[in-house]
Amino acid sequence: MDKKMIEEGMEIIDAHLKEQGISRRDAMKILGLGGATMMMGSGAATEAKAASSSAKGKILIVGGGLAGIATAALLMRSLDEPDITILEPNEKSASYQPGQTLVGGGVWSDADTEYKTADFMPEGVNWIKEKAVEFNPEQNSVKTSGGKEIKYDYMVVAAGLKLDFARLEGLGVTETITSRGDSSPVRKVVGQNGIASIYFADGATDTWTQMQKFIADAKSGKKVKGIFTDPDTPIKCGGAPKKIMYLTDARLREAGARENAELTLYPNGDKLFGVPEYNAAMFDQFAKRDMKYQFKHNLIGVDPVAKIATFKKHWLEKGEWDEDLEEYEMIPASEKVQVPYDFMHITPPMIAAEEIAKSPIGSGQGWVPVTQETLQHVKFPNIFALGDIAAVPMGKTGGSARKQYKVVVENLIAVMEGKKELPAKYDGYTVCPLITSIGTVMLAEFNWTGKPTPSFPLDPAQERWIWWLLKVYALKPMTQYGMLSGRA
Amino acid sequence: MKKITALIFGASLLLLTTGCEKTEQKEEVVTYKYTTAEVYEQMCVKCHGKNAEGVPEKKGPALNDQSYQELRMGIMDIKMGGTSGHSAGTEHEVMEHNMKKIREKDMDYDTEAMAQYIVDKFQK
Repeated sequence: MDKKMIEEGMEIIDAHLKEQGISRRDAMKILGLGGATMMMGSGAATEAKAASSSAKGKILIVGGGLAGIATAALLMRSLDEPDITILEPNEKSASYQPGQTLVGGGVWSDADTEYKTADFMPEGVNWIKEKAVEFNPEQNSVKTSGGKEIKYDYMVVAAGLKLDFARLEGLGVTETITSRGDSSPVRKVVGQNGIASIYFADGATDTWTQMQKFIADAKSGKKVKGIFTDPDTPIKCGGAPKKIMYLTDARLREAGARENAELTLYPNGDKLFGVPEYNAAMFDQFAKRDMKYQFKHNLIGVDPVAKIATFKKHWLEKGEWDEDLEEYEMIPASEKVQVPYDFMHITPPMIAAEEIAKSPIGSGQGWVPVTQETLQHVKFPNIFALGDIAAVPMGKTGGSARKQYKVVVENLIAVMEGKKELPAKYDGYTVCPLITSIGTVMLAEFNWTGKPTPSFPLDPAQERWIWWLLKVYALKPMTQYGMLSGRA
Repeated sequence: MKKITALIFGASLLLLTTGCEKTEQKEEVVTYKYTTAEVYEQMCVKCHGKNAEGVPEKKGPALNDQSYQELRMGIMDIKMGGTSGHSAGTEHEVMEHNMKKIREKDMDYDTEAMAQYIVDKFQK
């Protein structure tokens, strides 16, 4: 371990503790109890606050992933007489998805990211292992896959999203899948023959296998091409398409084979990051690593046998002079571009589950429309949505859900108590621990202002070893023991 | 080894003590030269219509059938070149380009105020 890095890390921690008025000795005393215990025990300092309420009502939560369970847990602790039902058919619905990047890069194994939902289901919650298939919000009722009709007073939609590999021509996939659960319709082609995707758990395991083959080829002296895609739909964890590229770069360097591989990102957009400060930092990081990019390319098809990816390349062409705007009219143009690859990481298009998208609680785009600050449904005041399925900008990360569930609980209780004003507001905070190599992370925090919102007085655009430690060692227990129990 | 363990715990402590209760960011105060009504009349009306009903020959879509939340999401997408925060891009490629022109003319406007204006004015 590099002594300088340890020193830098200690300096950061010391400076922070000093500001908080805690001595390092005191901190270590608390910490001496052990990581996980410490995180549960010290909840008092940072615990999600929700005053005890005597409000009554039957609450239905659709979806038992990270967002749904955290919401249920906090509601259980906040209501005197909670009456909560969760609809979730998947026994593995709660998992540590941020770890899938590390699985794909060979740092973790699948077991590190898999939870049993039962272990985190709060005591007292009525868990129905079925799916909601029909929504009748006018009647406050939902029909389940098992034919039950469930009436509710209040509903929280936290159903997550679906991975739509079926949209990509040539893969032969016809079904959408979720991150955890049966991936067989997709796994027969994604995870084979140089195609990889960390967006589902089995795919993450296969990514590491495919990446190792790619690296072995490069090491044998073969000139190889790795490509990384990023679609035109909203996606969960917008950083992951790039994180897996950085990890591929790092693993190639480790093997001494970097010069034989060409790595290119093909995103639909024209930036590496939406926040200018982080975007600039990433351009530097890409240049230093000789990582290439081709903007405005949206993956539309794959020939898995010939190993050719087809992109829709798009741009704007100058049309006629527009008097009104005092500028040439811009006309969208596009063409198909074929790119051969040896290794391709696919970030699939992502959609809201059809039964929700097309229901009265969905929207044209599919996502459940909510007021972005209060997370209350725009049409039905007794319905809230959070997590990947909520139609809010930038919201599809665990870091966002960690802020959102507290807002939902506080506002839902206010509605239950008959209050007109909703007290809690979400500001769009999200965090992307952008893995830039094995051992460094840029902790990109931002919100709807489109500007960095660092939690620490440090230049947020720097890659740091201490954030790697945070990503690899601290965030999982924080999620497991803090968020899933509705405490932090 | 001891130092590394300390560091790992230290890193956790960092987030525990600040991550959850972040201090309020200082809001940047932006002043706009023109009111939303003025901007709409001068910049938007020719392509989106007098009643925000849309002008097909100018390829400007209707805005009077969108909710407040839809409008502000759309404007945000235009102003930031996408709402993913990353590299997914924007659904409003042409308008993103036009927005740059609008800014050059000092006709920038507040996202929420404009969404509210369109709702109040055209969706009675």
